[in-house]
Amino acid sequence: MKKMIMPIVVLGLICLVVTGALAVTYQVTDPIIKAAEAAANEAARAEVLPEGSGFAAVEADGLPERVTAVYAADNGAGYVFNLTTKGYGTMKLMVGIGADGTITGVKAMDVSGETPGIGDAVTEESFYGQFLGKDAALEGVETISGATYSSGGYIAAVQDAFTAFDMIAGKEGA
Amino acid sequence: MREFLFIVMSAVFVNNYVLQKFLGICPFLGVSKKLDQATGMSIAVIFVMLLATAVTWPIQTFLLTPNNLGYLQTIVFILVIAALVQLVEIALKRYIPALHKSLGIYLPLITTNCAVLGVTILNIDEGYGFGQSLANSFGSGLGFFLAMVLFSGVRSRMENCKASRAFEGLPITLVAAAIVAVSFFGFTGVVDTLLG
Amino acid sequence: MKKGNSALSNLTRGILKENPVLVLVLGTCPTLATSTSVVNAIGMGLAATVVLICSNIIISLLRKVIPGSVRIPCYIVVIAGFVTVVQMLVQAFFPDLYSALGVYLPLIVVNCIILGRAEMFASKNGVGASALDGIGMGIGFTFALFLMATVREVFGSGSFAGIEIPFLVDFRIPILTQAPGGFFVFGLMMALVFKITHGKAPVKKEMGCAGCINAEACARIRKEEAKG
Repeated sequence: MKKMIMPIVVLGLICLVVTGALAVTYQVTDPIIKAAEAAANEAARAEVLPEGSGFAAVEADGLPERVTAVYAADNGAGYVFNLTTKGYGTMKLMVGIGADGTITGVKAMDVSGETPGIGDAVTEESFYGQFLGKDAALEGVETISGATYSSGGYIAAVQDAFTAFDMIAGKEGA
Repeated sequence: MREFLFIVMSAVFVNNYVLQKFLGICPFLGVSKKLDQATGMSIAVIFVMLLATAVTWPIQTFLLTPNNLGYLQTIVFILVIAALVQLVEIALKRYIPALHKSLGIYLPLITTNCAVLGVTILNIDEGYGFGQSLANSFGSGLGFFLAMVLFSGVRSRMENCKASRAFEGLPITLVAAAIVAVSFFGFTGVVDTLLG
Repeated sequence: MKKGNSALSNLTRGILKENPVLVLVLGTCPTLATSTSVVNAIGMGLAATVVLICSNIIISLLRKVIPGSVRIPCYIVVIAGFVTVVQMLVQAFFPDLYSALGVYLPLIVVNCIILGRAEMFASKNGVGASALDGIGMGIGFTFALFLMATVREVFGSGSFAGIEIPFLVDFRIPILTQAPGGFFVFGLMMALVFKITHGKAPVKKEMGCAGCINAEACARIRKEEAKG
C-alpha cells in the first residue's frame, strides 16, 4: 500500500511547492514586466512619431481588423497605430502618422515568426525606410522579392492604419 | 480553407521545425539512418503533436488564461505531454499491439522532444484558434516527416562515401544537414510566389 | 587531497573533457538556434546554467525522498519550475533578450543536458558535488555556445556582441546566421575538436547517448537496426 501511495504523495507535494514558488515569483515580477513593457511601448511611440508627446489611447469602434490600438499625441502632432498582421507568423508593428497624413515612422515590434534572414528582412531599413513621408497612396512602396508574403502583410497593415487614421482624424475634424 | 492550407504549407516548407527552427534535432540526427525508422518516428511525432495540441490548447484557453495562471504554461504542458505519451503507449500496447510493435519504441523519445513542447507553446504564442492550432501542429509534424525522410535518403548515400577522418560520423552529417537546409530555401521561394 | 581533486574534476569535467555540446553532443537544439549572436548565446547559456545548478541542487537534496517509479516526472516538475522562474526574471529585467530567445527559453525544460545531469549525476551524488557539476556543465554549455556564436556573428553579421568590426562588416556571409550556417558551423567545430585533440577526445560519432535521458530508448532502436 505504501508503495502505491508514496510516489503520488511525493509528486503531488513537489508540484504544490513548485506552484507556490512560481506564484510568489509571478507576484514579484509581474509589475516589473508590465512596467518594462509600458516603457518599451512608450519609447517606440516616441520613435515612430518623434514630434508627438503625451500619448493617450483613443477609443474607436469599427477599426480595421489589423489595427489593435490607437494613440493620439496630446500636442496634436498625429497618431500612433498598433498593428497586428500575418506574415508566416504573427507580426506586430507600430506606425506613426502625422497630422498632415504622412508617415512619420514605422517600427516592427515583433517579427519572431518570420524566417530569419528572409522574412525578417522587413526589419531592414531598405524596406521600412520606403514608408517615411508617404501618404495613404503608399506610392513607390514595394514588397521584398523572396519575402513577398511577409512584406505584403506589412504593407496591408500600414494601409489599414491609414483607414483608421481617416476614420479618427475625420471624426475629430467634423 | 485557404487559411488552413496556408498554415500547413508555411509550417512544412517555410518555417520547417527541424531545418529552420532547430526543434527536434536529436531524433533528426539520431534516428534518420534508415528510411523506415525515419518514417516510424515521424508518424509517432505527428500523432503526439496533434494529440498534445488538442489537449493543451483547451487547457490554456479555458483554464490558465481566464484564471491568470499563464505562468504555469511550461510546467502544465510538459506534464500533460509526458502523461499523454504514457497513455498512448499503454493504449497501443493493449489494443493495437501491431502498431505498438512498430511505433512503440519511438514513443519514449517523444516526451523530451522539444518539437512537441515547442509546437504547443508556439500555437499559443501565435494566437491561433483551435482549428488553426491543429493545422499548425499537423503541418509542423509533416515538416518533420519531410525533413526526416529527405535526410534519411541523403544519409544512406553518405554511408557509402568516405569522409576525411576528422569529419567522419556526426560532423559530416551536420554539414549534409546544412546543405539540406539550404535546399529548403528553394521551397520558401515557391511557397512565397504561390501565396504572395 | 584526493577529495579536493575529485571536487575539482566535478567542476572542470563539464568544461572540456565532457563538454556537453561538443563532446557529449547534447542540447543541440538550443545550441543551433540561439548561437546567431554572441549576446543571445551568452544569455541562453547563463539561463540554462542557472536552471542546471538549481535543479541539480534540489534533485540531489531530494534524491532519497523521490521514489524511483516517479522520478522522471519529479525531475521534470522541478526543472520546469526553475525554467519558469528564470523565464519571468529574464522577461522582467532583460526584455530584449526575452524576445530574442522567444520559445527557446521555455524549451530549456526539455534540454537534455539538464534532465540528463539530473538522472546521471544529481540523483546519485551529494549536494556539493552536484552543484559543482552543474556549474561545470553550465560553463561548458555557455562556452560552446559562445564559440559558435562568435564564429557565426563575426563572419555572418560582421560584428561581435553587436559592435561592428571594420572590414568584415563589408564582407558579411549572412547565410552563417541563418539555419544552414548553424548546422555547418557546428559540424566544422566538432571536426576541429577531433583534429585538435588528435582523435583523443571521445567525440561521439553518433548522437550523444552517455548522459542522455533517452539513452535506453535510443539503444533499443539501434538494436532493432542491427537486427534488421
